[in-house]
Amino acid sequence: MGEVIVWAVWFAAAGGCLASGVAVVSLQNPFYSALALIGNLASLAILYLLVSAEFLAAAQVLVYAGAVMVMFLFVVAYLGGKADAPWAGGPPLLRTAAVVAAAALLVEIVVVLGLAWGDDLRDPAEVDDSFGSPGAIGELFLTDHLLAFEITSIVLLVAAVGGVVLGTARERE
Amino acid sequence: MVAGAWVCLLAPLAGALAIALAGTRISRRTAGWVSTLTTFVAFGGALVSFLALWAESPEDRERLSTAYTWLAAGDLEVGFEILVDPLSSVMMLVVSGVGGLIVWYSMGYMAGDDEERRYFAYMSLFVFSMLVLVEAGNFLLLLVGWGLVGLASYLLIGFWHHRPEAVAAAKKAFVMNAIGDATFALAAVLLIWETGTLEYPGVFEQVDGLSSTTVNLVALGLLGGAVAKSAQIPLHTWLPDAMEGPTPVSALIHAATMVTAGVYLLVRTHPVFEAAPDVQHLAALLGALTLLVAGLVALVQWDIKRVIAYSTMSQIGYMFLGAGIGAYGFAIFHLMTHAFFKALLFLAAGVVIHHLADEQDIRRMGGLRRELPRTHLAFLVGTVALVGLPPFAGFWSKDAILASALAEGGALGWVLYVAGLAGVLLTGAYAFRLYFAVFRGERSARAAHAAHEEHGSGEGPLSILVPVGILAALSAVGGLLSIPGVWHPFTHWVGESAEALVEPTTAQDYVTSLVAVALGLVGAGFAHRAFAGGRYLVTSPAAWQVLEHKLYFDDLYDALFYRPAVALSNALRREVEEPLVERSLEEIGSGTIQVGGEVGRLQSGLLRTYAIAIAFAVAVLVVVFVAVR
Amino acid sequence: MSGPGIGWYLIVAATLFGIGAMGVMLRRSPLIVLLSLEIMLNAGSLALIAFSRQLGNLDGQVFALAVMAVAAAEVAIGLGLIVAMARREMPLDVDEATVLRG
Repeated sequence: MGEVIVWAVWFAAAGGCLASGVAVVSLQNPFYSALALIGNLASLAILYLLVSAEFLAAAQVLVYAGAVMVMFLFVVAYLGGKADAPWAGGPPLLRTAAVVAAAALLVEIVVVLGLAWGDDLRDPAEVDDSFGSPGAIGELFLTDHLLAFEITSIVLLVAAVGGVVLGTARERE
Repeated sequence: MVAGAWVCLLAPLAGALAIALAGTRISRRTAGWVSTLTTFVAFGGALVSFLALWAESPEDRERLSTAYTWLAAGDLEVGFEILVDPLSSVMMLVVSGVGGLIVWYSMGYMAGDDEERRYFAYMSLFVFSMLVLVEAGNFLLLLVGWGLVGLASYLLIGFWHHRPEAVAAAKKAFVMNAIGDATFALAAVLLIWETGTLEYPGVFEQVDGLSSTTVNLVALGLLGGAVAKSAQIPLHTWLPDAMEGPTPVSALIHAATMVTAGVYLLVRTHPVFEAAPDVQHLAALLGALTLLVAGLVALVQWDIKRVIAYSTMSQIGYMFLGAGIGAYGFAIFHLMTHAFFKALLFLAAGVVIHHLADEQDIRRMGGLRRELPRTHLAFLVGTVALVGLPPFAGFWSKDAILASALAEGGALGWVLYVAGLAGVLLTGAYAFRLYFAVFRGERSARAAHAAHEEHGSGEGPLSILVPVGILAALSAVGGLLSIPGVWHPFTHWVGESAEALVEPTTAQDYVTSLVAVALGLVGAGFAHRAFAGGRYLVTSPAAWQVLEHKLYFDDLYDALFYRPAVALSNALRREVEEPLVERSLEEIGSGTIQVGGEVGRLQSGLLRTYAIAIAFAVAVLVVVFVAVR
Repeated sequence: MSGPGIGWYLIVAATLFGIGAMGVMLRRSPLIVLLSLEIMLNAGSLALIAFSRQLGNLDGQVFALAVMAVAAAEVAIGLGLIVAMARREMPLDVDEATVLRG
């Protein structure tokens, strides 16, 4: 029974993910696209929970959906207007080329997965309850991956400065 | 004494560099002074060197001084070395002394010319080059000096470069000299091959051991260079044209020094020639031929400088004659006296030309005896010295050579002797023809015009008068350094470097002198009769035609070499250069532009295209990664 | 873990990546392009996290967290650029930004 529920939740979340993804890419109104992305992020959060990444699920919702997307919605509201139709514009070859490229990538990945389905994708490792907990991740950040942690903070600093510069640049025309 | 020789060599170079680098920051007069003074400093160095050498005992009179090893290739080592020995000391004195006088004269002659500084830089360059040639201690440096004097000659002949005739003459001189340079270089290569050295002592010691083919080839190569540089037949056609250069240039380069370099070469490398007697005799015969041909052609020339040029050619023929039979001392002696009186003749002619506002045609001259008394005297001294009347310089030197030919005997000796005497007759004729035409008789319209308009520059400032005077004095007494039967200091001195093969007896000398003087006076008599009668010396029209065309040498060379070469280059240009080289260059250019245009179309500027391209690239990479695993 | 194996998660991640890629390549509004870019990044994070569970190693989750931070920074700057474009009254069309044309 538990297995069935997990599978059902998984399918729902996965379906929501993909549907909202398609929506983001194909809707004309940018506001709706942004909302669809929020839905996408929420579905992903559910998927993260199913793989014992609790901290990350929480961070996803808090940071990504809560902060980044809000910023996005602010800008969309400020700019207003309609986005273009999905398949419009550009040389005709462009559309076919885009589809072909994306399809190629997808096919390749499927092939690789198919090749590895049996042996490499065997049972997952055993983990205890602290897997994916904030403590465990925090500990890693401050010991093994300290460098990544610091560099990320610098990147954020640079982004902040850049944002300020972009925002307060005087018009020079 | 070596220090003196180095000073002698380097002073003119310093002068040339100073003038060249200072450019227009110094006045034209200053350039002239720099050039003159450095040349006189060179003379001082030469004098010091000479006196020091004289103080040494006769066996010890050879000094080699190397500045540094210039060329080291395998076993061959060639240094930048100068040789101070009796022969080179004499040449140093002549070159720097006469050169100094002529450069001083140039200060007066070239005054007012726009490019005086360039002129003096070139003159100093020439003096330096000539000194390199005579002071060289090995064949390589000799060849370097050889080439440098050719360069200086080219630069100075074409000095007035906006005159196309001057430019053409300069090119002609350079190209013909290049032929000689080539044969000389080939001889040097052969020497390296066979003897492994280019040093004078090294080569001379080994010369007897070489095969006769080798020695003959080397000697021929050297003779080729000498013939070109000294304007002997068959490489003589450049010298008359070289008169396009300024008169002091003609005096210095084409009378006193550069053209005598061939004689110097023959004397310096005499062991080589002695090992190849056939070539040496060839040199003598070429000299004899040249002195006759040049003398004949001089009879019909109207340009005052060209008459003197042909005279130079003729007199060098005498020197070749002397060197060819082994009378080295006398050949060099004649070189020295010739330097005096030929330079004198040119410089005096320069005064005349200037006085008549650049008139050089003797048909428009005449009666200048009264207007230019001192020049007239100088010119007369020069003419008499040239013809060889005692006690002037030419008498002693020329007759000594002729007497040596007599002493040589045999078929060769007699042929040379008769040719030489015939040449004396011709010399008397053309020299006095020139004198009478310029200075005697009625005052020409041109001269009257010049005097009337006060265009005539008169006899000139001190810088012109003094050198001319000194040269006149030297032409008068310079020959007394070798009086047959009495004293021979000069030939003994030079003989230490190059021992003479023939020595005429006193009797032979006196007999020859008598005959020669007589013939000279006969020639002068012919000239006087023709002048007094208002006739030409050469009456037969056929002979006139041939002589006026300089025995058709120029036309022959034109047809033989120039026309085919021009045709060949035009053909090559049409068939090879234009279609292949030029077109291919164009096509490389346009092809590149085309390819660039095509490639440029990739840069559409559309971000999406770039994104698609990246996606494709990633797809390919994935395949690669998977396949590699 | 119960439920689908890692392969399933990877399929979802791959499909999401493809969808995002299509969005980047096909849409002209820079806002939508940015959103599609976010989708691609998230797809990558999903794959990382799935593998992290599979191998029992938390490094994947740490990496995914870093990706999240960097993505946030990138979105901030991207939005700043778009706002700057709008303020200068440039058309908000990726096809119009042809300064790189060669």
